Amino acid sequence: MGWNLIRLYAVAVYIFMFAPVAVVLLLAFNSSQFGGFPIEGFSLQWFEKLYENEAIVRAFKTSFVLGIGTAILATTIGILASLALVRYRFPGKAWITTFLISPVLVPETVLAVGLLLFLRWLSMPRSFALLLIGHTIIALPFVVLVVQARLVGIRKDYEEAALSLGANPLQTFFQITLPLLMPAVFAGALFAFTISFDNITATIFWRPAGSETVPTQIFGMLRNSVSPEINALGFVMIVITVGVPLMAGGLARYFTRKQR
Amino acid sequence: MSPALVTITLLVVVPMSLILIYSFYINIDLGVDRPAFSFENWSELFTDNYYHVAIWKTFRLSVIVTVLAALLGYIPAYFIANTTYKHKWLLLLLLILPFWVSFIIRTLSWIHIMGNQGAINGVLLWLGVIDEPLQMMFNEFAVIVGFIHVFLPYMILNVYVSLEGVDRNLVPAARTLGCSPWQAFREVTLPLSLPGLAAGSLLVFVLTAGSYVTPLILGGPNDFLYGNLIYDAILSELNWPMGATLSFTLLVLLGLVVVLYSRIMGMNQLYKAFG
Amino acid sequence: MKISSTKRYETLRERMGNGDMDRRSFMALLGYAGIAAGVAGGSMTALSRHAMAAGTDIYFEGWGGVVSEALRKHAFDPYTAKSGNKVIDSAFGGESEVLTKIKAAGSIDGHNMLHSSGVSWYQRWVDNGYGSELNEANIPNMVNVMDAIIKPFRAITPNSLSAVPYDYGTTGIAYNTKYVSKEEAEALGANLLLKKELKGKIGGWGGDWANRAWYGALQSDQDPNNIKDWDAVWEKAREHRGLIVKYWESGAELMDLLAKEEIYVTEAWSGRVAALQAQGHPIGYLDPKNGLAWMESMFVLKGSPMADAEELLNFMLAPETALAVAEGQKYPSSLDPNKIAMSDVIKGLPAFDPTGKLEGLVFRDPTTWNPVEKAQKKQWNRLKKGA
Repeated sequence: MGWNLIRLYAVAVYIFMFAPVAVVLLLAFNSSQFGGFPIEGFSLQWFEKLYENEAIVRAFKTSFVLGIGTAILATTIGILASLALVRYRFPGKAWITTFLISPVLVPETVLAVGLLLFLRWLSMPRSFALLLIGHTIIALPFVVLVVQARLVGIRKDYEEAALSLGANPLQTFFQITLPLLMPAVFAGALFAFTISFDNITATIFWRPAGSETVPTQIFGMLRNSVSPEINALGFVMIVITVGVPLMAGGLARYFTRKQR
Repeated sequence: MSPALVTITLLVVVPMSLILIYSFYINIDLGVDRPAFSFENWSELFTDNYYHVAIWKTFRLSVIVTVLAALLGYIPAYFIANTTYKHKWLLLLLLILPFWVSFIIRTLSWIHIMGNQGAINGVLLWLGVIDEPLQMMFNEFAVIVGFIHVFLPYMILNVYVSLEGVDRNLVPAARTLGCSPWQAFREVTLPLSLPGLAAGSLLVFVLTAGSYVTPLILGGPNDFLYGNLIYDAILSELNWPMGATLSFTLLVLLGLVVVLYSRIMGMNQLYKAFG
Repeated sequence: MKISSTKRYETLRERMGNGDMDRRSFMALLGYAGIAAGVAGGSMTALSRHAMAAGTDIYFEGWGGVVSEALRKHAFDPYTAKSGNKVIDSAFGGESEVLTKIKAAGSIDGHNMLHSSGVSWYQRWVDNGYGSELNEANIPNMVNVMDAIIKPFRAITPNSLSAVPYDYGTTGIAYNTKYVSKEEAEALGANLLLKKELKGKIGGWGGDWANRAWYGALQSDQDPNNIKDWDAVWEKAREHRGLIVKYWESGAELMDLLAKEEIYVTEAWSGRVAALQAQGHPIGYLDPKNGLAWMESMFVLKGSPMADAEELLNFMLAPETALAVAEGQKYPSSLDPNKIAMSDVIKGLPAFDPTGKLEGLVFRDPTTWNPVEKAQKKQWNRLKKGA
């Protein structure tokens, strides 16, 4: 009984999470441009336009590469930092945690302007690398928090056991700690990717001239009206992210069955 | 840890120090500042009630959003951690799918759901439950809904990650020792998932406190946060010195929250070591 | 990479274990990182300088969406094909964002041409020392631009222009014809925004202090270009605030609010109302007496490659380009309708002036508005929040 209630509750929360997204996805098929509900007519024209719109496709590629890069960098750095924070005792630990989390504490506009001032001091131009490093900084606290929370839950005994059985610290990390950390690593990487993918404020300031990400592209459309091509893009992405792994899983199962 | 420290020092601490210097400058006209060592901005911040009201409003709303997110997020996280469903990763992935639709678009789309002509009012009117559309948009309620929608995944994933680490034999063990399911949850599962809950809450609190776009889009004229004042100062009034002053204050206030958090987290670890 | 950083981490860990961090090596590390960043930055700058030699890049920033599509198709691509120069265009959120970036970076690197709003921003750029000097002889299509729309720019910089006017529009009042009749709207004028019976169904533009003040001036019977009593202006703004459901910040929001009947009355941009009307929404548009008109220009920042910028401007002013942009964003073009035949779509746009003299439109006078901006904008940002 209790479990059913929990399941019901979880389903309700998922529905809440998806309601606005469903709206956006449905509107991708609306024939009218500023339409809302009721939908006036079914049409695939926005998908066609999206496909032809080089600017959006390019922006999507930029966002995607940036997101992946951010996920890799932030997760690697974040894991190392959390390990040090959780596993070793040293004075001023609470302050260092604050320090690591500080990028989320600073309003992005200000962080963005500050970093630009610093670059000017170094006489460096804005570049894609800056954007990548900047996003990593913004995503880092998310990774640190989730990995740290998980590490606290992993008992130190396992690592100590491995060490006492003759494993070196590196082996211990890769064979004991990292596998136990996997859910947090996965979650942290997801966080980092989505944060980078969805970032507007800082991106506007840091991007090199002429390069657009999906959010900045949308931001520019706000003055007039956001084109439903953006809805179509959302639809395509969701279909890909859910569809591809499902299909890959299905295919893998199909082939293993065949081999038997 | 060194790479993290170096990057943050270079890319956060140094820039923020430059910003701190600005807080002592004097803004003469839009976009024109005069280097000085003046406490004018700071004294305005300390004496003007306008800023204090905004700080209080922000604190209050952040607490509300955090508590609601924890209440709403814990159970789904528990569900994901304990379900026997094979494709657990799918449930996790589903959580971040809303991020694929840009934050601005998602926020703007609430009008289709909670607006006067939105889905909820449409259904209620059709059922005859109400005669007039309910005003759900452009007030504090809408702002809270918007925030929760954006931040809930952070809460759920954080809690889930902690729950996933709980030893699966512990609950059955507690049950054989005579605990009721509720007792087992309260005595075993909940304490062990606290680090995740705390991390999630911290994130939600801090993110809400630093926001400004959600109240602009979903709120009415009275719904604004401290972040809106910063935005006004920097991008609308082009007054960097005041913007710097306001930002620094936010950094310090939120920094205190984090220090508090790590103190409590530290205690938690101690408790575990002895327990 | 992973191994080396793990090793480094191991050594660091040992130091941490002893309870202190070797501060000197940390500082050294910081120093190396700084040097590395500097070297990388220097070489990148060199590289980008090198790349410039192949042809001139012109950086354009403007409103994205339909505007940038029209410009790309009709101006940027043909220009690149003809001259070999590249136009790198991106969308911005407004000029204050660009000014913030330029100020922080300390140079106009990556910024050449802006789709600039109003005469106020022209004045601001010029005042801040970013005004360039266009050689009008290189822009033959300038002859088609209305004299009346160039005049306010010449008033600021009499010797030469830094921008060419490109389009114009008005900020009038939009009303839902189901709830407000045309007669009523015309009778009330600017006071329609203060109609008590519509409480909770009124909207307002939150993004611009001068717009609010302009309407406050109209409502308190003052000349908007010569406001004497600011208290009266803000009193009206307060009254308006008490009646509204929401301040909107973007055109996309404005359209949503009107189309979904969340609001029946609001001040609105003519082009956005035209777009709604084209979709069949029952929205009327009223330019009250002394209503606010504005113009946008293509501003060239000082330090840009002038000859190339002039050539590009000429492309942008070519009738087919200007008219395509006008139809896309639904704001009339700055070209003189007496010299260039306008399409029916453009003739039907709300702010369109068939005489080409713009006598019926009142523009903001930057000489009275810009000096009070610092104080009054702050006042408005507070008032907006109920302070």
